[in-house]
Amino acid sequence: MSIQNQGGSNYEYVTARVRSRRARLFDEDDYRKLTRMGTGEIARFMEESEYETEMNALGSRHSGGDLIEYALNRNLAANFEDLLRWADGRLYDYTARYLRKFDAWNVKTTLRGIYSDAERGEVEDDFIRAGELGEARLNRLLDAASMEEAIEALRGTMFHGPLTAALEIYEEHGELVPLENAVDRGFYGRLLEGLPEEPDRATELYIEFLRAEIDFRNLRNAFRLAYSGADIDPADYYIDGGRLFDEGDLRQLASNPDELAARVRDSPYGEDLDAALDGLERAEGLVGFENALDAALLEYSDQLSNRYPLSVCPVLGYVLAKEREVDNIRAVARGREAGLGEDEISEELVIL
Amino acid sequence: MLELIMTFATFVLQSSEPAIPPTAAAALAVGLAAFGAGYAERGIGAAAVGAIAEDDDMFGRGLILTVLPETLVILALVVIFVV
Repeated sequence: MSIQNQGGSNYEYVTARVRSRRARLFDEDDYRKLTRMGTGEIARFMEESEYETEMNALGSRHSGGDLIEYALNRNLAANFEDLLRWADGRLYDYTARYLRKFDAWNVKTTLRGIYSDAERGEVEDDFIRAGELGEARLNRLLDAASMEEAIEALRGTMFHGPLTAALEIYEEHGELVPLENAVDRGFYGRLLEGLPEEPDRATELYIEFLRAEIDFRNLRNAFRLAYSGADIDPADYYIDGGRLFDEGDLRQLASNPDELAARVRDSPYGEDLDAALDGLERAEGLVGFENALDAALLEYSDQLSNRYPLSVCPVLGYVLAKEREVDNIRAVARGREAGLGEDEISEELVIL
Repeated sequence: MLELIMTFATFVLQSSEPAIPPTAAAALAVGLAAFGAGYAERGIGAAAVGAIAEDDDMFGRGLILTVLPETLVILALVVIFVV
């Protein structure tokens, strides 16, 4: 697929379809029902919902939590693929920018698969075919037997350059981390590239959102490093383009969780994350904080899509909501499998 | 080019007849109204088709909303009878 940057955007059409789909996502009542079900029941519940096609297609090959997970991934991919098919002009560009994160996911999955000598089928099941990489390229990735071949298969994409650079380090140390970082860098490097110089208000907000995505990624990494106490140079994970930290800040703050929290409180995100930070300080754990990050983003995107109906915002709101739904159902199914109680599962869910 | 416009303008200003006769003006008015209606329907139609693609029950509502701007043309038609 090439980037379609010519011609007008068809906001009306895409927005109408997206809103209709947004309305059909699971609501709070559905989740309440889901948390009380076993995996088998969840599978049956999903069969009667939007996930029918995927459940039927995969039902004979998988069962239990795996079935639910793969069906979720496929449905997510199908939905996002639709978005890219509908959108024209700038709207396509904006949508693809964010959805390329699934390309990054697929590339990472392949590299991990090669690293751990996984079967081709296993890797393929974990693919989320929602990004811009076409069927042919993904197949070539799957066929790759070595890192070199996989990287060669990515020639001409945004991942090729950083990966080639990281290959040497990988061969020296035999660690996967530099390659995974290279994939992230490839993705985030392109995220803010070539955006219009003087965007209208809605686009400006979208760009702000992308920037926030980078900030939150940095933030998450920083908190994880700070709380795990691992001896890793945080600068290795730093992603450029956010407005919250620069590289030096991150290195300094990652060793000091309290200072990090104070820094976030003073930032533009402070208001939304206040409650989450309080929870973090009361040592309720990282999971709660990360969920609060997600919830804050989701609420914000919903507001935006009401305020700017003919812009990229409703599409973005839908993408986020769908991602959260998939995460939620996966959490319920996996939680049930692991024998967690209702309350414990509800804590994992991000519901508005 | 400029001279041509000048000559045309002098001709128009000097002749006793109006540049655009009443019936022609009325026709223009209706035409412009129809153009406006068409432009409005473009957006609504796109959204309606999107909604119908997701949910067939929206067909009736979509159709009605799509042709609503058509009232513009009907109102503009009044001009024809006034002239």
